[in-house]
Amino acid sequence: MPVDGIFSSTINLLSKSIDLRVKSQNLISSNVANAETPNYVPKSLDFEHELQGALKGGGINGGVTNSRHIPLKGVAGRLESVSGRVVESPSKSPGKDGNAVEIENEMSRMAENQIMYNATVQMLTKKLEGLRSAMKVGS
Amino acid sequence: MDFFSSMNVSSSALTAERTRMNLISSNLANAGTTRTPEGGPYKRKDAVFTATPAQSGFSRALSGAAGQNVRQVEVAQVVEDQSPPRMHYDPGHPDANPQGYVAMPNVNVMEEMADMISATRAYEANVTAVQAAKSMALKALEIGR
Repeated sequence: MPVDGIFSSTINLLSKSIDLRVKSQNLISSNVANAETPNYVPKSLDFEHELQGALKGGGINGGVTNSRHIPLKGVAGRLESVSGRVVESPSKSPGKDGNAVEIENEMSRMAENQIMYNATVQMLTKKLEGLRSAMKVGS
Repeated sequence: MDFFSSMNVSSSALTAERTRMNLISSNLANAGTTRTPEGGPYKRKDAVFTATPAQSGFSRALSGAAGQNVRQVEVAQVVEDQSPPRMHYDPGHPDANPQGYVAMPNVNVMEEMADMISATRAYEANVTAVQAAKSMALKALEIGR
C-alpha cells in the first residue's frame, strides 16, 4: 500500500474545504464591514457544486501536455484547482444609498459558515485520530 | 494569512463606525451651539464611507478572485450638512437677528439617536465577525492534536 493511500482523498478534500470556508468567511466579513457603505454590492463564494464535481469526476481530466493546449474546464475539475466562484448578489430593493447588504442574511451565513468550518475541522481531527489508533494496534 | 485579512477588514469597519459615533456625539453635544469658530451656528457633520481593497499590490495579485473581492471600509471624508439652520424665535438671545430669530444648528436630535442605534448595531455585528474569525483560527490549531 503506497503511503499516499493512507491519506486517500479525504484529507485533501477536508483541507480544501477548510481553505474555501476561510475565503468565504473573508467575503462575509467584508460584507458586514461594508453594511453602511453607499453603493456596495455584497459578494459570496460559491464552491459546493464545484467541489462535488471535482470529487465525482475523476473520469475526464484534460491534461495539458503542450503550452498550446486549452485546459478542459468542465465539472470534472481537479480537487486542487477548485477555487470557488465569487457571486455578486445585488438586492432587489436597495435602499436610498444603493447599499444591498442585508445584515441579518450575512450574520446567518456567517454562523452557518462557522458551523460548517468547525464540523470540517472536527472530521479532519477524527480522521487523523483514527489513523493514529490504527497505527497503535499491535504495538 | 487569510484569517488576518478577515480581522483587518472587520477592524477597519470598527474604526469607521467609531468615527461615525464620534460625529454623532459631536452633533448631539452641539445641538444648541450658536457660535462656532467658522461663524454662524454649528452644522451637522456626517461621515462618508467608502469600500477599498483589503490588500494591495503583490499579495492582492496572488490571492485569487476570492481574495481580490474582499473590501475593507474607510472614512473617505467628513461632510457638513448644508441644509438651512433651524430658526428659533428668541428676541432676548444675544445672537438673535433684528426680527428676533436665532439661527440654531440643523441637528435633529431624533435623527441622531436613530443613527446612533444603527452605528451601535453595525459595530456589534463587526465584533461578532472578529470573534467568529478568531474562534475559527483557534479551531484550526486543534487539528491533529
